[in-house]
Amino acid sequence: MCCNENFQERSEGEKIQTSLDLNDVNGMKFFDPHVHMTSRTTDDYQAMADAGIVALIEPAFWLGQPRTGLASFTDYYSSLIGWERFRSSQFGIKHYCTIGLNSREANNEALAEQVMEVLPNFIFKEGVVGIGEIGFDDQTAAEEKYFRLQLDLAKEAGLPVQIHTPHRDKKKGTQRSMDISIEQGVAPHMVIVDHNNEETVKEVLDRGFWAAFTIYPFTKMGNERMVEVVKQYGSERIMINSAADWGISDPLAIPKTAALMKKSGISLADIELVTYRNAITAFAQSGQINESDFTSVGPIDQSQKFESNSILRGGQQPRIDKNSIIIS
Amino acid sequence: MLLTDVERIIRRSLSAEAMAWLEQKINLVKAEEKSVQLNLTFSHIPRFTDKRTVVLEEDELSAAANGLDVSDWSIDHLCRVWLLMQLPSDNQETYLKKVDGLFTAAEMNELVALYSALPVYSFPEAWIHRCEEGIRSNIGTVLEAIMYHNPYPAKYLPESSWNQLVLKAFFTEKDVTKIIGISERKNRSLSETLKDYVEERQAAHRTVHPEIYKLIEL
Repeated sequence: MCCNENFQERSEGEKIQTSLDLNDVNGMKFFDPHVHMTSRTTDDYQAMADAGIVALIEPAFWLGQPRTGLASFTDYYSSLIGWERFRSSQFGIKHYCTIGLNSREANNEALAEQVMEVLPNFIFKEGVVGIGEIGFDDQTAAEEKYFRLQLDLAKEAGLPVQIHTPHRDKKKGTQRSMDISIEQGVAPHMVIVDHNNEETVKEVLDRGFWAAFTIYPFTKMGNERMVEVVKQYGSERIMINSAADWGISDPLAIPKTAALMKKSGISLADIELVTYRNAITAFAQSGQINESDFTSVGPIDQSQKFESNSILRGGQQPRIDKNSIIIS
Repeated sequence: MLLTDVERIIRRSLSAEAMAWLEQKINLVKAEEKSVQLNLTFSHIPRFTDKRTVVLEEDELSAAANGLDVSDWSIDHLCRVWLLMQLPSDNQETYLKKVDGLFTAAEMNELVALYSALPVYSFPEAWIHRCEEGIRSNIGTVLEAIMYHNPYPAKYLPESSWNQLVLKAFFTEKDVTKIIGISERKNRSLSETLKDYVEERQAAHRTVHPEIYKLIEL
C-alpha cells in the first residue's frame, strides 16, 4: 500500500479494539518465507512468536527509496545477517535471509555494478538460503541484465532463487522471469516464483516452479482468494508469505490464513504444507536450514547482547503488557 | 509559462524582505563555481517565502495551460523552480552535477519541486533517466509532480517508460485525466499490458477504472 494519501478515509472509521482469535490454529508451527523485519517493530516479533511463527526468511529488497552509494548496500546486507538476525532470535524466531540486488535499484547501473562486486561476499554466510528477491519491476533492459547475472551467481553457488514478480504487467513479467531462469540454466525446482495470483499460478506450477503467494491487504492477494486457490490447485509446491514491510501489511498473514483455511475445510495436512513445510523444502536446498534449530528452541534470554547492544532498553521488562496504559 | 511570468507572480506574492533575500541568494548562486549556495538556498526557501498556493491572474492562467502549469503550486515551490530556471547552463557537466546533487539530497517537497521542473531544465534529454527513476518512487506527491500537468514525460520518455508511467498511474489510483499526452501516446504494447491488468483485476474481483478502456482501444 503506497503512493496515495487515503489516511483520512482510513482514520474515519470506528476505532475498535478487538482481540484476534487464532485459537483454531493454536499449537501449529508456521514459517514465513518472505517478510521484511527491518521495517517492523518488536511488537510484531512478539505477535508473530505468539501466533506460532517459528522461522522466517527476510529477502533483501529496496528501502522505499533508492540508495545512492555502495556503503548503504553493504551495511544493509550485513544487518540482515547481523543485528536483525539477533533481534529475531530474542523472540525465539529463527531468522534466515536471501541476498540480492532488487529489481528497482538494478536500474542505477553505475551503482548496480558495484553491488554485484560485493554480493558474492554475502551469499555463503550462514543462514543465507538463497539469492533474492530479484527479478523484474519495470521490466527494463538493466533489470534483465542484473537478473541474469544473479541467476548465474545462484547457479554457481547452488542456491535457490527467490523471484519477485512485478506488480505491473505481472503476467508477462512472470512468464519472462521463468523463461530467463531456464535460459540461464537454473532448474525450476530451485526457483521460488513469488507474488503469484489467479492469473499466473497455473503456468508456474505446470512448468515445475514453486509458487509463492503474498497475502497483503489491498494490493496483492486477500486470504479468502488464497483459500480458493488452494481448493483449486492443492498444496503441492504452493506456499504463502506475508511480505510484510513498511507498507500497510500484516506480519500475521500466515497464521490468519491458516485459520481461515481450517474454517473453510482445507485439511490440516494441506495447511501445513502451504504455511510451513513447502517453504522449508524449497529453501533447504541451500543446505542452510536445519529444522531442529526452530523446532526445539531453548528458553530465550532477552538480555543477551549483540555487539554490546541489547534490544532491551534501560530497565524494560522482557515482555510488555500491551493492554495496560501504564508503561513502566 | 516563461521566466518573466514566473517572476511576476513571485514579485507580487513575496514580501519585500523575502524578495530581497531571494534575489540576493540567486545572484550568489549564479556567481558560484560550486553548489554551496545553491544547496543552501534551495533548502532554505520555504523559511523565507510562504507555503500558500499561488494566486494567478487571467492571462497567467492561459500561460499556465501552455507548458508549465503552476496553478496549484505553493509559493515556495514556485520560488524553487524559479531558482532552477536561472541556474547557469553554459557548462553542461557542471549544470548536470549541480541539479543531480539537489536530487540526491532532496526531502519530499524538494523532490516535488525538482520533478515538476523537468520541463524547464537545460539539456532535456539528460533527464530521461531521472524521470524514469521518479516513476519508480512510492511517494504519492512525487509521482503526481511527474504525472500531473507535466509536459516532460510525454515529450521525452521512450515508449517503455511512458507505459510504466501510465500503468503506475492506474496502479496507484491517480487521476489519469491530468496526464499530458495520455491519449496521443497510446500504443499497442500499453494496450496489451492494460488488457492483462484488467483481467487480473477481474480475477481478483476488483473494480476496473473506466479510463483504462479508452487506452486499450487503438
